[in-house]
Amino acid sequence: MLLRRIYQFFIIYLLGIALLFALKYTLRLSDYVIPGPAEIWRTGRDYAGPYLLAVLNTLAVAILGHLLSICLATAVAVLGRLTAWIGSFIRTAAYNIQAYPIVAVAPIIFILLGDGLASRLLIAAMICYFPLLLSFIGIFSEPVTDIEHFYDSTRRMTWRLQVKIRAFENIHKLTTVIVGSATMAMVGTIVAEFIAATAGIGYSIRIALYQSDLAKILVALFLIGIGTSLYLVSLEGLGNALQKRLKSL
Amino acid sequence: MKRAALVVSSLIFLFACWQNEKVEEVSYRLKWLYNVSVVGDLYADVYGYFAKNGLKVDVKPGGPERDALKELELGHAQFGVASADQVFRAVAKGAPIVVLAQLFQVNPLQWIYRPDRTPFAGPADWKGKVIGVTFGGNDETIMRALLARYRIAENEVTLFSVRYDYTPFYEGRVDFWPLYVNAQAVIIGAKLSKAGETYAFVSPDTLGVRFVANSVVTSREMLEKHPDTVKRFLDALCRGWQDALDPQSEEKAVQVLLQMDRETPAAVVRRQLAVTRELMLPAPGAAFGKIDPDAWKQTAEIMAAQQLIPAQLDVESVLMTDLIK
Repeated sequence: MLLRRIYQFFIIYLLGIALLFALKYTLRLSDYVIPGPAEIWRTGRDYAGPYLLAVLNTLAVAILGHLLSICLATAVAVLGRLTAWIGSFIRTAAYNIQAYPIVAVAPIIFILLGDGLASRLLIAAMICYFPLLLSFIGIFSEPVTDIEHFYDSTRRMTWRLQVKIRAFENIHKLTTVIVGSATMAMVGTIVAEFIAATAGIGYSIRIALYQSDLAKILVALFLIGIGTSLYLVSLEGLGNALQKRLKSL
Repeated sequence: MKRAALVVSSLIFLFACWQNEKVEEVSYRLKWLYNVSVVGDLYADVYGYFAKNGLKVDVKPGGPERDALKELELGHAQFGVASADQVFRAVAKGAPIVVLAQLFQVNPLQWIYRPDRTPFAGPADWKGKVIGVTFGGNDETIMRALLARYRIAENEVTLFSVRYDYTPFYEGRVDFWPLYVNAQAVIIGAKLSKAGETYAFVSPDTLGVRFVANSVVTSREMLEKHPDTVKRFLDALCRGWQDALDPQSEEKAVQVLLQMDRETPAAVVRRQLAVTRELMLPAPGAAFGKIDPDAWKQTAEIMAAQQLIPAQLDVESVLMTDLIK
């Protein structure tokens, strides 16, 4: 699965680069607008090392942010499944927070938490938690009547048991949405780094943009693609293993 | 026969009139959003300087993600505004760009500080202090040039990565903060004054580092194929700027800016305009927009010393110094 994902990414990346070169040579653009193959190769050789470290840094924050958002979305969805006023209030708050553009909220986060790890984590979590939340709310609010009816009628139903039943019955949907939101976590972390952090590949891209250096950005995009592919494949593997194990129970 | 001749001559006359009234459309990409640093560009447009020269100019705001030099090459704009470091980076990579005029005679980028907390008599006072720079930005290049010029090692100061949020400076975590003295400094200074704090500025120009800022650029092809258009554009633009900075037409300049930038109060715009005037007007006797080749050479030397561009870049071939005397 890993190999297939990587070579598929290579194809997409190379197609993108080919399109850029086609534009460059058709319109006779200078290396300033679109860098030539030699410059991209040179930049890759000079910056692959530091950029790889930056991508790993970003990936580590993205994974933590993703975990945080899974916990956050689970908590909100479990509370939000309540039909009482508090449940609806939590849902409204969750939707409204997501409606604010992160670039407007980010300065407040950075004033409160500084421009270190905490801000990057929070922004990454904020960006990727919404798709998780929507799915989790849907899953945890939908009764599994066949099974729950038995526990309801025997008066043995607790809220923990209810959550477990609904999670178990929808494990495929849950793993799919968790894997899908992983890319959002990566994007969220890069956005956070772009806005205010002083580390990570988002910060490197920001510096490259200041210097109008598209070659650096292309190298960064390549490494981000590889990093994201690795993370997604790992998550898919974990999800499959979990589903197999649950089925065998 | 007579009637046919009359019709033909009428058509020729109408065609000649149409030719005379034909307005040439060009696009002009600014470096930044509408603010005081583009007041002359807007003035030339709104008060008909371009129109008088037979041009219809689409004056488009710039911004952090907009690059006038790339737009020139892609044909999305015929004229643009770029700083010298942008021009050199582009030329070093083969972009066919030429500089027509230099808008700022003194770079508006300076460092604000609190003299009561951080006295500053000279660059030696930077030792042990926290200095804000935008990593990758031209303020980083300028600060590194200043440190090198005054033989201050990088480990003798702490360079702090700055963004749009001034909180680290307000909180006193950063001693020197870069800003545009004609734009943000007026607003930030007012806030500090309101809080009872004193402030002052360090100007790289007075410390011997002359790093050229906003300049008017076009493509070499445009200059070679449409020299008349370039001449008419430049003439209108420089006259617009000259009049916008004339104290006698201050109110007209303020109004034109307020039309485009409704966020900034008129009183702030007036103060900004006064500072801009000092930075842009050339020495008495020189025409507005005069290119300062020595400052451009120094800018190129600074960038080459920091390995941002190759050392052998031909600076003079980029500067069209004969267009403005």
